Amino acid sequence: MKKYIINIKALVLFLTLGLGFASCSDEFLDRPSEDGYVSDQFYSSDEQVQRTTYGMYGKMWAPFYTKCFYALSELSSGNCLAYADGPELIQFKLTSDSFILSDPWRSCFGVVAQSNNLINTLESSAGANVSPAVIKNTIAEAHFFRAISYFYLVRLFGPVPIIEDNLALAKNPMVNTNRIEDVYKFIENDLKYAAANLKSKVRSRTAGDENIFVTQGSAESFLAKVYLYQKKYSDAKQMAEKVIASGEFDLLPNFADLFLTSKNNNHESIYSWQWSGGIGEYQGGNFSNVQYGLDILNDGVSYGATYIPSNDIQDAFEVGDVRRKESYLVYGDEYPNIKADGVVGFKVDKVKYPSLLDNTGAAVKKYVVGQVTGETGPVDNWGGMNNCNYIMRYADLLLIHAEAVMAGANETTDAAAKESYNKVRRRAGLEELGLNVPLTKSALFKERRVEFAFEGEFWYDLGRLPRAEAIEIVSKQDRGFDSDGVKHYTPVETDFIFPKPEIDLRKNPKLKEAPVPYVFK
Amino acid sequence: MKKLMTNFIHWNANHRAIPLILFLLLTSNFITAQVKVSGIVSDDKGLSIPGANISVVGSKMSSSTDFDGKYTIDVPANSSISVSFIGYVTQTLNVKNGGTINVVLKLSAEDLREVLVNVGYRSQKRKDVTGAISSVTAKDFADSPQISMDQMLQGRAAGVQVTNNSGQPGASASVRIRGISSLSGTNEPLYIIDGIPVSGDATNQATGGNIVSGYLGANTGNVSTSPLSLINPNDIETYDILKDASATAIYGSRAANGVIIVTTKRGKKGTGKFAYDSFLSIQNVTSLLDTMSLSQYAVQQNALAEYYGVGPRDEFAVPSVLGAGTNWQDEIYKTAIMENHQLSFSGSKDGTSYYISGGYADQQGIVVGSAFKRYTFKTNVDSKVKNWLSVGVSIGAGITNEDITINGSSNGIISTSILSTPDVAVRNLDGSYAGPPEDASLGVWINPVASALMNTNNLIKKNFSGNFYSIFKLAKGLEYRFDFGGSTDISNFEGFQPTYAWGSAVRDINQLQERSNTSYNLNIKNVLTYKFSTGVHNFNFLAGQEAYDSHWFGNSQSVSGLLSNDVHSINLGDQDTLVASEYKGSSGLYSFFGTFNYDFNSRYTLQATMRADGSSNFGPGKRWGYFPSIAGTWNLSNEKFMKSTKEYIDNIKFRIGYGETGNQNIGGGAYLSNIRSIKSAMGNFFTADNIANPDLTWETGEQTNLGLEFTMFNSKLSANFDVYRKQTAGFLFTLPLPYYVTGLESYQGGLGAPRVNLGSLRNQGFEMALGYDNKFSNNFSWTSKVTFFMNRNELLSLQDNFDLTKDVMLNDYTNKAVTKTVVGQPIGQFYGYETVGIIRTNEQLANAPIPFTGNKAVKSQLGDVEYVDQNKDGLIDEKDLTFIGSPQPKFNYGFNNTFKYKNIDLGVMLQGSYGNKVMNLTRRAGTKNQRLYENQLAEAVDFWTPENTDAKYPRPDGADGHPNIAISDRYVEDGSYLRIQQVTLGYGLPSDILSKAGLSKLRFYLGVQNLYTFTKYTGYDPEVGSYNQDELLSGIDSGRYPTNRSFTFGMNIEF
Repeated sequence: MKKYIINIKALVLFLTLGLGFASCSDEFLDRPSEDGYVSDQFYSSDEQVQRTTYGMYGKMWAPFYTKCFYALSELSSGNCLAYADGPELIQFKLTSDSFILSDPWRSCFGVVAQSNNLINTLESSAGANVSPAVIKNTIAEAHFFRAISYFYLVRLFGPVPIIEDNLALAKNPMVNTNRIEDVYKFIENDLKYAAANLKSKVRSRTAGDENIFVTQGSAESFLAKVYLYQKKYSDAKQMAEKVIASGEFDLLPNFADLFLTSKNNNHESIYSWQWSGGIGEYQGGNFSNVQYGLDILNDGVSYGATYIPSNDIQDAFEVGDVRRKESYLVYGDEYPNIKADGVVGFKVDKVKYPSLLDNTGAAVKKYVVGQVTGETGPVDNWGGMNNCNYIMRYADLLLIHAEAVMAGANETTDAAAKESYNKVRRRAGLEELGLNVPLTKSALFKERRVEFAFEGEFWYDLGRLPRAEAIEIVSKQDRGFDSDGVKHYTPVETDFIFPKPEIDLRKNPKLKEAPVPYVFK
Repeated sequence: MKKLMTNFIHWNANHRAIPLILFLLLTSNFITAQVKVSGIVSDDKGLSIPGANISVVGSKMSSSTDFDGKYTIDVPANSSISVSFIGYVTQTLNVKNGGTINVVLKLSAEDLREVLVNVGYRSQKRKDVTGAISSVTAKDFADSPQISMDQMLQGRAAGVQVTNNSGQPGASASVRIRGISSLSGTNEPLYIIDGIPVSGDATNQATGGNIVSGYLGANTGNVSTSPLSLINPNDIETYDILKDASATAIYGSRAANGVIIVTTKRGKKGTGKFAYDSFLSIQNVTSLLDTMSLSQYAVQQNALAEYYGVGPRDEFAVPSVLGAGTNWQDEIYKTAIMENHQLSFSGSKDGTSYYISGGYADQQGIVVGSAFKRYTFKTNVDSKVKNWLSVGVSIGAGITNEDITINGSSNGIISTSILSTPDVAVRNLDGSYAGPPEDASLGVWINPVASALMNTNNLIKKNFSGNFYSIFKLAKGLEYRFDFGGSTDISNFEGFQPTYAWGSAVRDINQLQERSNTSYNLNIKNVLTYKFSTGVHNFNFLAGQEAYDSHWFGNSQSVSGLLSNDVHSINLGDQDTLVASEYKGSSGLYSFFGTFNYDFNSRYTLQATMRADGSSNFGPGKRWGYFPSIAGTWNLSNEKFMKSTKEYIDNIKFRIGYGETGNQNIGGGAYLSNIRSIKSAMGNFFTADNIANPDLTWETGEQTNLGLEFTMFNSKLSANFDVYRKQTAGFLFTLPLPYYVTGLESYQGGLGAPRVNLGSLRNQGFEMALGYDNKFSNNFSWTSKVTFFMNRNELLSLQDNFDLTKDVMLNDYTNKAVTKTVVGQPIGQFYGYETVGIIRTNEQLANAPIPFTGNKAVKSQLGDVEYVDQNKDGLIDEKDLTFIGSPQPKFNYGFNNTFKYKNIDLGVMLQGSYGNKVMNLTRRAGTKNQRLYENQLAEAVDFWTPENTDAKYPRPDGADGHPNIAISDRYVEDGSYLRIQQVTLGYGLPSDILSKAGLSKLRFYLGVQNLYTFTKYTGYDPEVGSYNQDELLSGIDSGRYPTNRSFTFGMNIEF
């Protein structure tokens, strides 16, 4: 046997280096996030909890709102025409792989997912320092937003899956859709919960941030609308009357003020989406100034007025309607406070801009604020700006009230119903219904179209008409540009419910099967 | 005496040597019967060998050659001298009366096999290797004018498939060792470069997935740049590619995609050497697509306008007089120059060897506005400090500066150059950039030349890395090695979009975006090795521990409204528009490993390894993974009964191996339920970021390998065959939940799907490398290497059979699914409709299934595309989507040849791929005929009208969503190709001339890279690669930056 000679110096170095570095601790492998929170520690203050719903007041709806919101409602309904981003809607040729379908779908279900997370976990995960009132209000907001999501989903896509627990769903996602009536019942339940638990608060008469937040009154207003969609007229009437009686909301006296950035979150707003050009991120601002606004009304972007008013909607406005100039612009209009082409004071001058309005002789004005001024606030790189957009405003509630009173009849002489209707007419500078003149269904329908033109509403009003009636209306609309002449497109019954996005149909073919009843908890 | 003087002159730098020589010269006269012998020792290529040993047999007298290979020695008359040098066969020559004896040493075949292979934490002799390991050495890829070290492997190693994802200088390549083992972000191998681990993942999955040069999104283009482009390939000596798991298991959790160990050059024995390598390349695009000229475009626009019922444009009234107009491809491609210089010094003296180099590369892109510059520095020093202690250090630095043109997306420069209209000039008469006309209400194609040249996308990367080691001999056979290495990366990106007015494309507000990322990692290794031998039994043990600690930090700022476009600084923008964000994080990996080797009489060997890794990417209880392997070899030729065959077969070895490896290459924290902060008009809000998965753990791979290798006819012929089966279980993937579960993307406020161990997949294949190396005469030799590789993969299982489809953006906003992966099928197959053809007759129309792609069935018309009704329900809907081709090749091959005749060498390398399909979305965009104000390929003119019923393309339709342009087999093409990748003709000056000039090497060469490609593919280049290294988006050509053809002139000087 040969004797091995140990090198002492080398051994010492080995012991110091090798064994010195070789000791491992669990800490080495425990690497908590350095740039974000983990849910276990997050919900520890009132403000942290309150801020969990801020996204549902705007930003989370951005993929829906950008293009799709107007495309689905304004193009399909014949209020607008477009060369790009949606002629297939005008012609009822939309295919299920269009982003116009997947983006709203994703936005709505994103809100559902985050709402569910709050509803299911907030109570148990909130820290001791969070006040119970804040937890209660936040969970109620989550119910409210979940209801808003499903209200859009059911109107756009018909039967959809009702989801209450996304974590369970992630384990078994292949669900069926649920019946339309169950979705409405689900919405109702959520809104009732929200109405019972949200803060009750009377809107400030000064437009401003404190009016952003939804209240008991907001939930009740939507409840009235959802009752109306289900033809539960007495419930709708009762709920609308309750809101009217509360005095929380009122019409702004001047229609034009509704679309001033400085009047964001005024007391007519029941629920508005919040935008800011100052965020500087894509889909942070309200893009209407580009989607509707002419090039010369924009900063930094080189295409505008993609959606223009059809001749049909232009004709729907009565002479003398003050809403006309605030809804769409024609040659000769003047907007002294709007900046266009670098100059404050916009005159739609045919001499200066001879081919500006070639397509249908008009451009949308509603939600168009023009180039940046002190009034508008900043613009982002995509043309996004600071103005809010209404999801529901008090004028809607008034007309819901009138319709609920009418209760499916062709006319009504009810004074309260007529007064609600007349309030809207009065502000528009139009003739009110006389003492013995009844309010007719068609007048009310027409009023809704004009009052909410370009606000993303008309398609849903068409959708709750009997299909044959809606097809009759749509097929008579002129859906052509001036250069093409009058063009008509006739939808079929199924065109009033959009196809579900193909990407999810592929992932879950059951979405195409007949809907199943929902088992309510 | 004249000779003596030459020596004097030659050695004039070495003054101390002169007295010694004089002494020797003088003393030699006093010794009787001594004769003087001198001459030159060279190799069989005629290159002189410095440092060769010349000794007198049977005496202690010896001498060595100088750096010109010359020697002089005094020897007794009638004795013999022995001339030897490492790696060469020793020659013994008889000396009678002295005089000049020139010696040509032959390379030793035996010693060639003694080449050391780095098998991970240690080296083995090639003959002792048990696993499937390919090596590629510097001489294999010399003369390739390529920027990135991963590209050098293309076609040079069996089992390694390299595809260039883009022809942009500095762009990432996809390197696949034995196919695809994971479906998540990266399938790139782990690189160990001088002991420092570097991930080949260009998307930085392991460090949070942030890419400084852009964002990963559906239409962001190929923004990933190669993490390996910071390394100068000229510094590389060897790549040892560890392919099977018995070889890679020692790297455990990071080895699932294979391991490439890169060893840079080190100083060699002998006198100091100086080398200068340089080349200049002229690069060009290989082909252009045939787009419409102005008159063709006018005809087409008139026809489409008529079809859509829109009035024709006045200026197109008489198309024939309009001429060619602007060909935007001509405008965006240019002849580009590339130059490369490298200086290196190396040598070894008194137990210390060194290698020092500096390199500079400057490559212009063939697309305007793209360029790449690189500066590299490398130092390797190894020294024997004491007889029990040796130390060494490798230090490298690299700086790159890239101008990127965004491509590979529908709105990239390449795609735009096809669709931009020929009626728009590049520039106006006043020299400013032109743009589309005011009334182009539909297609506002932003001038691609202006966009490439005026937008800034500049990326500067810096890498500094060092690794230090010391080896202590503790006792006989027992060694302890300590390694400490670190690396830091700094990347800065500047993106600037200026204000402009190019026709109706106007931008009033400029924007500056700056992003930066810094990261560092530290790596400590302690390795003990022990070997002992009892004659026929040889044992080798290794035990080690390693810790890897990585930290990263990145931020970005953007600002708009700079007062001018000239100076780009965040300070100069409108501060109200300032947007900033940051990210940071760290990860750790802690490991133990060991191997045991046993060799019986050079006939049987057995090797077992084990590695345990703890990773911070997983939650408590799921952190530790264990990766064992076992392999054995049988060296048949060393058996006694094979003695008689030795004449023909020198070496036959059978190898068998099994091993397990892992993949943990995801960001940290996926096991936790995280909260995300998002900006909104109301300030930050917070959402649940993801569905947590506390069970998340390693992806594990099992691989079995059978190998056979032999050399024949005195090593002239060598062959290497391997078959393998590689099975990945629990591959890491973000659960592809439907949108109704997750809603939005998490950055938009959605609830991110959990990271899961989703399923299993299998790769099996065969690879072969054949070598032939023969010298036909003193003047002519041929060396050849054929590599062949076939791999089949199949998805074996998938949790709950989730739908694995993958979308690409077809224009700014339309996503379409293009691939789908299902159980029992290969990965990432194209997915769409099968077509019957165009409906040309009423009878065909009556029988055609009806498209139901919206919310109702819409009958086809004459001239529409008829799709195959797969489920025979009379409708065409998403149920009729099917597999329409696979991007994966049936096999890949490479064929490398070097011919030498006297001083001339000729290298020819062919490389190809067979049986893969490419989805040509560029052609789809160029033939869709859906829009006015958009150019098309010239062939698009042949569309169906009642007058042109035999047309190649269907009737045009104004809606973007019309089923005529649905993703279908109409856009799937054969992507097989055979490419003459490289042809190099070199001439080395003969050594007698060189020695007069004091040089040891002077070689010039001319090379052509990408000379010609044989293919049926109609796009620019069938080598498409994958989109940002995403395996599920392979073979999709959406305006990929084409690979250039280059002509290179280069030279190598050594002295």
